Amino acid sequence: MTAARVQGRGASPGVAVAPAFVIASRPRPGVSGDPSPPVEIEAATAPPTADPAQEHERLDAALEQATAQLEALAERLADEVGTDEAAIFTAHAAFAGDPELASMAHAAIDAGGAAEEAVRGAFGTFRELLAASADEYLAARAADLDDVADRVVAILSGATRPVPTERCIVVAHDLAPSDTAELPRDLVAGVICEAGSPTSHAAILARSLGIPAVVGAEGVLDRVDAGVPLAVDGGTGEVLLDPDDADQDRYAKLAAADAERREQLAELRDLPGQTADGVHVELAANVNDPGALDRAVTAGAQGSGLVRTEFLFLDSAEAPTVDEQTAYYRRVLDAFPGQRVVFRTLDIGADKPVPFINRPPEENPALGVRGLRLGLVEPQLLRDQLRALLRAADRAAADDGDTGRLAIMFPMVATTAEVDRARAFLDEVAAEDGVDLSGVEVGIMIEVPAAALAARRLASRVDFLSIGTNDLLQYLFAADRLNADVAGIPDVFDPDVLGLVRSVCDAAAAHGAWVGVCGEAAAEPRAAAAFVGVGVTELSMTPNAIPDVKDKLRRHTRAELRDAARTAEAAPDGAAARAAFKDALR
Amino acid sequence: MPSKTVTLTNPSGLHARPASVFAKAAATHPCAVTIAKGERTVNAKSVLSVLTLDCHQGDELTITTDGEGADAALSDLVALVETGMGES
Repeated sequence: MTAARVQGRGASPGVAVAPAFVIASRPRPGVSGDPSPPVEIEAATAPPTADPAQEHERLDAALEQATAQLEALAERLADEVGTDEAAIFTAHAAFAGDPELASMAHAAIDAGGAAEEAVRGAFGTFRELLAASADEYLAARAADLDDVADRVVAILSGATRPVPTERCIVVAHDLAPSDTAELPRDLVAGVICEAGSPTSHAAILARSLGIPAVVGAEGVLDRVDAGVPLAVDGGTGEVLLDPDDADQDRYAKLAAADAERREQLAELRDLPGQTADGVHVELAANVNDPGALDRAVTAGAQGSGLVRTEFLFLDSAEAPTVDEQTAYYRRVLDAFPGQRVVFRTLDIGADKPVPFINRPPEENPALGVRGLRLGLVEPQLLRDQLRALLRAADRAAADDGDTGRLAIMFPMVATTAEVDRARAFLDEVAAEDGVDLSGVEVGIMIEVPAAALAARRLASRVDFLSIGTNDLLQYLFAADRLNADVAGIPDVFDPDVLGLVRSVCDAAAAHGAWVGVCGEAAAEPRAAAAFVGVGVTELSMTPNAIPDVKDKLRRHTRAELRDAARTAEAAPDGAAARAAFKDALR
Repeated sequence: MPSKTVTLTNPSGLHARPASVFAKAAATHPCAVTIAKGERTVNAKSVLSVLTLDCHQGDELTITTDGEGADAALSDLVALVETGMGES
């Protein structure tokens, strides 16, 4: 007999077999339409007293504790996963510490309520105000309020949230972001949710933690009791209840294959990035925020081909000081001893307004004052950043020679005049600080079609060109990559896109400059191989993608890749080029 | 009571991040601070209250301060809104 089966949607790849750990939804009075049945949580305290003074005290203590817990959670996630995942808990902490919420709850206690009811009431009032908004974003914040209210009430009632104590697969109706973030990841072999989508917070978090997950597994809670063995495949979305020997066997094989694959990739970690005949290709990591540094090092990144610096600017009310910037840049350099680290100067435009940059709104931010253009109209901003970068490299080298090699990259360049002006700024700042620039590589992004066409003239002015495939494709095809209706138009395998990348590489080679790719396409093994085939020598990507790309490159010689790329360039369109490239490497 | 009306420039309105930047800035001042849109006036130090104003780009917001350092607080907060609170 085969095991009972529930089909959900794969949300985070990998397989696992382990006993179920059921997390019941918490009771949520006053919220209608909640499909999950309320299940009791063990309450440790006696019923609330009617003494208002005591209730006021309990309320303040619980709100304070919830705020502290959420701030700590945000801090931990910022370190482990990244600032984007942490931001939601920073907001949750602000909600728990809100003064109006507190005074509303205190008023309810004065009117004779217990702290628990007072908290539910106050959160409920704000929840209704937000849920009623026509603004989808604000309406979605109502769920965040529930999550925070649950936490405060749990603290008040002394209820303990159930926590797994042995290896298990967590089964829940839905996991609030804080539930997922607080799971002990060494014990959680998998996650199954009845609700949710692959783009929900729980799914995103599971992927970044590397935990197999299935969402949309309808009815799974009704059919699973705690402790029942489960098998989950986070790639296909399959969930098996109490799998029989044959199924257990099949899953064990899948898990073994998965583990073997991971092991192979781990072995690859310390091997150099190169083709089968030993032609070196630099495989570097994109670093978006401090959380990415560990992942980059773990993945065996050879330095970074793109350190984004925007997060330093976007989240603060004032421009970061030179000292603040220096400290962060130095931390990044120190993570990659002996390797090249390419810092991109601030790359924002009118679509991401920053409080301390006073620019008028633009009709068309994608074609407006962004990237280096902004640095040239706000010279102080650019000068401060260049100064901080030079100081970081200088100090890091003075303290300890074992640090990264600084490279500086300017984004959104269209003309040679812009490069000349940017270099003049760099020379001035270096002269003011008495820094020797001879060890610092300077390059530009190739993301504006005009720059790709001007590669020959640009390459004579810089040490490297780095192709940002996302923006280059968007501008080449005039198709917004965030607009689903047109996002499918550009194709990196388009024969003329490959030809354009080749011409950029040829132009750079003539001037002794190297060419890298730092867009998303660099993380796709086949596209990465095609780039190497046309002459690219550096690929920078999300850290997790490095082992697969390395594996692909090490299977083929440079000549094989070159011939396959030529075949692809001769194809009639992108789809045919992709197929031709694949066939040529059989 | 010093008071001034400003226009919100943030393209996506006052979402959680800019709203908390604003509320945090308001909370650093000892005086009382309110923010009003249309008929509704709320405590500017409360991020939840600010969120419920449901502010969009182009909305006119009136900031009013009262008490110790009211003038300084007003010019500080008006400047913050005029330059668009941070958002990614």
